[in-house]
Amino acid sequence: MITGIDRLVAAINGEKSDRIPVFCNLLDQGVNELGLASLYDYYQSGEYVAEAQLKMREKYGYDNVWSLFYVGKEAELLGCRKILFSPDGPPNVEHFVIQSYDDIHNLEIPDDIIHHPVFAEELKCLQILKREVGGRYPICGYVTAGMALPALLMGMDKWFELLFMGPPEVRDELLTKCSLFCQRHIAALRELGADVIVYANPFGSTDFVPLPYILKTGIPWMKRDLSAGLDGIVYYCGGARFNQVLDTVISQIGIETYYLSPLDDIAAGKQIINGCGLTCGVINDIKLIDWSEQEIKQEVKRMLAAGMAGGKFLFGTILMPYKIPERNIRAMLDAVYEYGQW
Amino acid sequence: MILKNVIAAYNEAVFDTDRDKAFEVIHEAIAQGLTPEDIVFKVVIPAMELMIKAISEDFDANLAQHFMASQIASQVTDEMVALFQSSPEIIGHIVIGTSHGDMHTLGKRIVSGCLRSLMIDVIDLGVNVSAERFVDAALEHDASIIAISSMMVHTARSEQGCLAVRQLLRERGLEERIKIVVGGAPYTWDTELYKLVQADAWASDGVSAAKVIKDLIMEMHK
Repeated sequence: MITGIDRLVAAINGEKSDRIPVFCNLLDQGVNELGLASLYDYYQSGEYVAEAQLKMREKYGYDNVWSLFYVGKEAELLGCRKILFSPDGPPNVEHFVIQSYDDIHNLEIPDDIIHHPVFAEELKCLQILKREVGGRYPICGYVTAGMALPALLMGMDKWFELLFMGPPEVRDELLTKCSLFCQRHIAALRELGADVIVYANPFGSTDFVPLPYILKTGIPWMKRDLSAGLDGIVYYCGGARFNQVLDTVISQIGIETYYLSPLDDIAAGKQIINGCGLTCGVINDIKLIDWSEQEIKQEVKRMLAAGMAGGKFLFGTILMPYKIPERNIRAMLDAVYEYGQW
Repeated sequence: MILKNVIAAYNEAVFDTDRDKAFEVIHEAIAQGLTPEDIVFKVVIPAMELMIKAISEDFDANLAQHFMASQIASQVTDEMVALFQSSPEIIGHIVIGTSHGDMHTLGKRIVSGCLRSLMIDVIDLGVNVSAERFVDAALEHDASIIAISSMMVHTARSEQGCLAVRQLLRERGLEERIKIVVGGAPYTWDTELYKLVQADAWASDGVSAAKVIKDLIMEMHK
């Protein structure tokens, strides 16, 4: 039987498996799979998250599983004491660890993430996933880039203020600490068996900052974040566009997988990547809430027509909104399984 | 420095997100005899309107430029208004906040900065704002616009968000007096979403939102 790892390895090598790999990112939906009362209850347990990830992969037949609970978990590892849970969407960071520049100076980066008490449930989740599907289905981890992490610690507007108008020495102290956390987080996930690490950096997108800023400031910090190596690293800008940055990231950093924005031109992205790595075409999953099954089928067909020629291509979603009806998830996947065959 | 040169130099600084340079241009212009009123009405507001126009014509501005343009304009305006001979005429009042359950602050800060530079009074209600609070604050401050920012699809579509604000306005007979403008990432990903949540208008970015809101205020004042 062909596994998700088989499909992914074939795609990386430019070979053809039965179909293209499909990364379907269902997180909050796990609460329904287990019939739990709330997302708060669901995210208290690594066993729950692992069980739901395994069930959903089995049920829908896509190729990956996630060790990510929610993005705010990284803030919790750095001292966040309150997360705002919602009945129908991802949890938000409610308590910002950094309220003043003194808090930056006092911010402590854990030496040992794996044995940190806040990481205990993610550790359980990763151990279960590794035991159950390791070597057969790619286990995905999520790491926020050092330049984006401050947004989780102080709020995006305060981070913009410090980044573009604040004292350089304070900004650099925070970036140095956040990059160190990023490096340690990547190392921990690798040690625990994550095959794929989605490196999330909206500041690597020209929707966020000007290209000269990325070239001069962003790239050196990304190199620092990724100094331990690029195995399994996926470049992702949180859904923001980055086709304009692709050639620089390829030549200066050498990442080998690019998770495009749904707003990027897939064919243009593939042309720039030009066989230097994998291209992931990503669907606008917010539209999946309201699209008809026919519209979904047409969109998937269009995306695959733009991306499949020449191989080295996979299909992906962002973090699928909770409100997407199950029939639409199935319609999307059925279309990929149909049009994504080799 | 003649006015035309001041405008050109200030605009260039704003587009380059160079706050220090923008203030240098303004301070030099004051030293050469321009009044604070001239700075706001003949430099800052035209520069903001130029940026709005450029974005509407597909200028590839990014979030950092939007943020810096709004902060520079707002800070220059604050400094100049303190030096005005008499208080400036405010063209309208709005309340702004993030929708229920949403903690993301950047969008509303960009919008607020732009609006302040356009002489619109902004009452910032903060984050995770309930529908009742939006409506009560709009009445308290005589605001004609409720601006709701949402960064996540579930907070944009929530029945406790914009939909609840609409319901309250309807129940209290306020729909003619108070309009709702929404913005944030989910609306950019789904450009029809503002209709689904029953807003009166939406904007694709913070700077454009200032124009949408200003135009709506002017229309309501007709």
